[in-house]
Parts: sequence; structure tokens; C-alpha cells
Amino acid sequence: MSTWQRVVFRNFDLFLSGLWVTAQICVIAFAVAIVLGMAACLVKLYVRPLRFAANLYIQFCRNTPIYVQLLWVNYVWPDVIGWPTSFFAAGWMALGLQSSGYLAETFRAGIEGVPRGHVEAARSLGMSRFQNFRRIVLPQALLVMASSIMNQFLVLAKSSTLVSVIAVPDLMYQALRLASKWFEPIEPLSFVAFVYIVVIFVLSHAMKRYADRLQSRYG
Amino acid sequence: MERTPPDSIPTAAPAVGSNEQAREREVVVKAVNLHKSFGDLEVLKGINLEVHFSDVVSVLGSSGSGKSTLLRCINYLERPTAGEIYISGVPMGFRLDSQGQRHSASQRTINHMRQNIGFVFQQFNVWPHMTVLENIMEAPVHVKGMTRAGARELALRMLERVNLLDKQDAYPARLSGGQTQRVAIARALAMEPKVMLFDEPTSALDPELIGEVLATMERLAEEGTTMIIVTHEIEFAHEASDRIIFLHDGRIEEEGPPEQVIDNPRSERCQQFFSRLKHRR
Amino acid sequence: MSERGDLRIVKFDNLVAIFNASLLWEYRSLLLRGLAYNFYVFAVAGALAISLGLSIAVLRLQPGWIARSIGSVYVEVFRNVPEYVLLIWVHFVLPLLITALLRSQVNFSPFVSAVLALGLAYGGYFTEAFRGGIQAVPRPHVEAARAIGMSGAMTLRRIILPQAIRHMLPEGMNLLVSLFKATTLVSLIEVPDLLYQVTIVVQQEMRPLPLYSGAAFIYFLLIFFISAAVDRLTQRWRVAWR
Repeated sequence: MSTWQRVVFRNFDLFLSGLWVTAQICVIAFAVAIVLGMAACLVKLYVRPLRFAANLYIQFCRNTPIYVQLLWVNYVWPDVIGWPTSFFAAGWMALGLQSSGYLAETFRAGIEGVPRGHVEAARSLGMSRFQNFRRIVLPQALLVMASSIMNQFLVLAKSSTLVSVIAVPDLMYQALRLASKWFEPIEPLSFVAFVYIVVIFVLSHAMKRYADRLQSRYG
Repeated sequence: MERTPPDSIPTAAPAVGSNEQAREREVVVKAVNLHKSFGDLEVLKGINLEVHFSDVVSVLGSSGSGKSTLLRCINYLERPTAGEIYISGVPMGFRLDSQGQRHSASQRTINHMRQNIGFVFQQFNVWPHMTVLENIMEAPVHVKGMTRAGARELALRMLERVNLLDKQDAYPARLSGGQTQRVAIARALAMEPKVMLFDEPTSALDPELIGEVLATMERLAEEGTTMIIVTHEIEFAHEASDRIIFLHDGRIEEEGPPEQVIDNPRSERCQQFFSRLKHRR
Repeated sequence: MSERGDLRIVKFDNLVAIFNASLLWEYRSLLLRGLAYNFYVFAVAGALAISLGLSIAVLRLQPGWIARSIGSVYVEVFRNVPEYVLLIWVHFVLPLLITALLRSQVNFSPFVSAVLALGLAYGGYFTEAFRGGIQAVPRPHVEAARAIGMSGAMTLRRIILPQAIRHMLPEGMNLLVSLFKATTLVSLIEVPDLLYQVTIVVQQEMRPLPLYSGAAFIYFLLIFFISAAVDRLTQRWRVAWR
């Protein structure tokens, strides 16, 4: 039996479960990032007294390396606020924090990029500030930001490999475990590298096609 | 000019009783001693203006004379530094309490009053993420609280008035400049405002596309819409307007019927302005 | 678990412990040496990434489809692979493959693996940045150069590149900041950088709170100021070059 069969093919179920964990953590982290990022952005733009705090949050999330944030959330937070209680939660929290900083800036650029005239047209028709934001500014901003947001998801997906370091059983973790268990790093690691490359390649091209379609439809 | 009052033109509650004559003379827009400064620069230096129901008033003048600013003060996109604006007798942007003290109007009041003023921008400002129909339906549904079905029917009628019924499901990115501007006009009309304000509606259009927009505006004028138009299209202004206002350096230099202001201006600056243009043609 | 000093949600004692910088100060020389390693890796990997980026960008813009395909494959592989995965692979798998190929034992030191992995990964990003910059140079400028007889290489060097670099400088500088952040990963293959030293000290002193928080804070400050400086430079260039 070749090493490939022994290490990779017979443990395919482990790889699948690892992939599933990776997918879960990416989706949860990104959802958290969107919520936190949008909140920070709105506070920074519209709640004047809290602008400095929001900006500090954004700068901290963006300028701290993801690995450092991961260790910090995982080892420091539980002793101070009693959470996260699981490595999985620490994983998505740290990933969400990091991405929320970038997303906040993306949202801000998108919102500020909506032409003033479109806002004036809405106000001229009698729309309130809130109606204007929800129905005119936000949709247009999202169109502009779509590719940046999707790109940030890919960055997050690539960073998610680090959660293996805090023992979250994602795809990378499974590869490392099998590599050390069988003393055969070549096959599992190459296989997993290949999977990551292919998945992210496919995702990035699908996203690019979607962005192009938005561009042609809405100009 | 021939005028036939159509049944589709909405009118506000008449100012005095239900007398036809009174309605005809209702002052829809009134500006009293309007001043507007941007920092140190005073752009409007005391404008007094009355626009009656069904009037078509064109505002002409060189760049920087304050034409757009005047229009934008009327629907409170710009806050006047001094002076007042009244829409059908109701103060715009401020209110007087029982002692006659002036207070700033709430945002809600301003939003509400803007429903009575239609504004057409030079840059169209038609929203790209909605279809033509959705653009027109947006305000009736979300500001006036109309049902979607009712708004849809209204929007289709408006599209017919601007001659774009076949483009109802298109996205603005697919339309020409002239078509987009006509959508903007339909969108403003859908709120059934008392007055339509046009801020250089054709200045951003390629020459071949200007005609269709002017034709639409002429049609509206014939139907009896109250219109205030800031424009550089002198011939159109001459043809379509009841009255011309010539603005220079923030003041009304001359005001009167087109035959007077354009053809036989009394003020010297006015003469200079129109003679320069005549020579270019 | 302490009974006193407990706010209901926040464990106050521990919150205070975070801000205790004495431990950081005690080990400052060790930590500074670690930080130096971050810069060291950054410098060498950055040089590699930029050279690779420029070369592959030129490759991608060649007329021949073979050259272009090689360039495309490089970019797709190294932009889509997670940096951590590449790091591990370069350190643990690549030496084995080369050993098998050359039939003599080859090992990579952690430093070499780190530089190679980060250089390859960021080379991918730099390729796209350079390609964008080169393509933004107006065609007429290039045609004018060829028309007066300049060779391809000279055109590249004297006409295209100066303008291309001007176009991609903001993006390039952001990539470098990103690369510096990525150097924290090298602690995972035992390059003695700042984070590695911090984890060692944590194991010794068993005081993770001030140490990890301190590390986060140091990195944050460092990168914040570097980013701010880059932003200001970019602004000034944008105004000066308009």
C-alpha cells in the first residue's frame, strides 16, 4: 500500500470533517466581522462623541497580526471575561475581529463614495435620513464594495488555517496530525495545500465573475 | 401660449375657498429678501420672487450668478442665511410660534414639505441599483405610504407622460442621458408636487439628446405645471416661459416676459449677456 | 477563580494584570532581539518578493503564451495558498523532495524556510501589483520609445518602470506592511522572532496575560505607526504627482 493510500485515502473522512470545521469557522467569523465592522463604521461616521473609540477599535483590529490576535483572544480573554470557553469560539472571534477592522474601512469608503447627488435626490423627494440610508446609500455602497468584501472573505479563509495552532480540528489540523502520526509529512501536507489552493481559486474566480456581472448590470 | 388644464395635474388645497380664479392666482413659491452666503462669499444678495400657479418661470444668467443656489434654497437643500421661502403660504425650513418668534423647522417637517416640491438635477441622480419603474415608485411607496400596486400604476402613468413606457424594467445604466433625465423628471412628477424645479436639466447632456428633454418640459408647461427652470437654453426659455428672470451677481437684474427680457432688455448687463449669445449663433 | 475583586462579568484582578509591564521590561533584551528577527525576515523576504514580483510580472506581459502561462500559474498558486500552509510545506516537505531529487540530505533552517515561503507568497501579490502598474503606463509612451529605437529592455527600464512604480507604490507599500504582519507566522517554525520569544517566556513564567497582551500592544503600535507613515507618504505623493 502506497503512502498516499495509507495516509490520505484511508483517512479521507478526517479530511472531510476538517474541511467542514474550516467552512463553519469561516462563515461564523465572517458574519461576526460584518456585524462588528458595520457597527464600527456607522459609529465612526454618525456618532460623533464615540468616533475616537470606534477608530481605535478599527485600527487595533487592522494593525495587529492575526496570529497575535488569536493567541490573545484564546489565552487572555478567558481569564478576564470568562469567554471564549472553547478553542473553536476563540478561533472565530479572533478571525472576526481581524476582518471587522478591514470591513469597517471598506464600508466607510463605500458609503462615502455614494454620489452626493443621489442622496440629494432622495432628500428632495422627502425621504428621511434613515430611509435614504437604508434604500439609497447602503445598496449602492454594497455594489461598490462587493468585490472588496468578497476579497476579505478569501483573506479570512486563508487565515483560518492558523486556528489549527490552538487545536481547532480544521483541515490544516488534520493534515498536521496525520503527518506527525505517520511520520509522513509529504502526502497529507501536499494534499491539503492542493485542496486549499483549488478551493480558494474556485471561490475567487466565482466571486470575480459575480462582481463583473454586478458591474455590467448596474454600471 | 395655449393652455389646457388637464385632469392629471394635481393641485394643492386652494389658498382661498374653491374659487377657480383664486386657485389660478395662488402664490406657489414666494421668496422674500433671500440671502445666501457660503463662508465669506455672498451668492444671493436679496432675492424677492413670486411664482403663481401654472407659471413657467425661467431663470437665466451667467455662471456664478446664483441661479442654482436660488433653486436649492427653495427646497432647502441649502439653508438661506437670511430671508424666507414660502411654499403655498407655508414657511419652508422655519416656523413662527404664537409670539412671532422664529424657530428652525424639524427635519420631519422639511421632509414633508419637500414632497410638494419636485427637483430635477443637472446630474440626473437616478439611482442605479433600481429599475426605472422602481426609481419612480420608490418615494410614493416609502414616503407617501402608497400601496405598491397604486404606486406602480402611478409610475406607469408618469412614464407615459415622459414617453418612456417601454423602458420601465430597464436599469439606468442601459439608458441614454436624455432617457435618464426623463426618468428623473417622471420620478419627481410621481410625488404630484405643487411646483417643479429644474436645475440646468440639459447641461450635462450631449447636444442630440437635449431636444427630447426640452420637448418633455414643453409638454409639462402646456399641461399647466408650475415650473421654475434654471437653464442656458435661451430659445427654449423664450418659447416656453411666461416670465424670465435675469440674475446677475446674486440679484435680480431684470424680470418680465421673454419678449422684453430677451429681445429688448432694459438693463445694460442683460443686453450684454444676450447680445453675446446672439453673436455666437 | 478569585472571590474578591470580581465584577460580575469582568475578572478585575486579571484585567489589571494585563497592564503589568514589568515582565516585558525584565525580558526586554530578549524581546528586542526577537523583534530584530522580525525585521530581518521582513527585509530578506521583502527583497525576494519584490524581485520575484517584478520578474514574473514582466513574464506575464510577454507575447509568448508559454511565458504568460508560467506566470499565471505562479500567481494563482501562490496567491491562493494560505501563508501558513505554504510555510509548513516549505519547511517540512520541500527539503524531503529536494533530498530525494539530489540524493543528498537537504535541510532548510527555519530562517531560510521562512524567507522562502513568505517571499514566494508575497511575490505573487507583488506580481499583480507590478502588472497593474506596468499596464497603467499609457501605451503611447511605450510606442514613442520604441519608435525612436529603444530596445525592449531599455524601454522597460527607463520609460515603463519609473511610471509603473509610481502607479503601484501605494499598493506596494501596503503589501510590505502586510508582509511585516505576516512575519509573526515564522514563530511557528521556530524562527526566534518576537512572538516566539514571548511564547518561551510565557512557558517559563506562566503569566500569559501581560505577555500576550503586551505582544499584541507592541505589534499594534509598531504597525500602526508604520501604516500611518505610509498613508501620509502616499497622500503626499498623490498630490505631488497628480
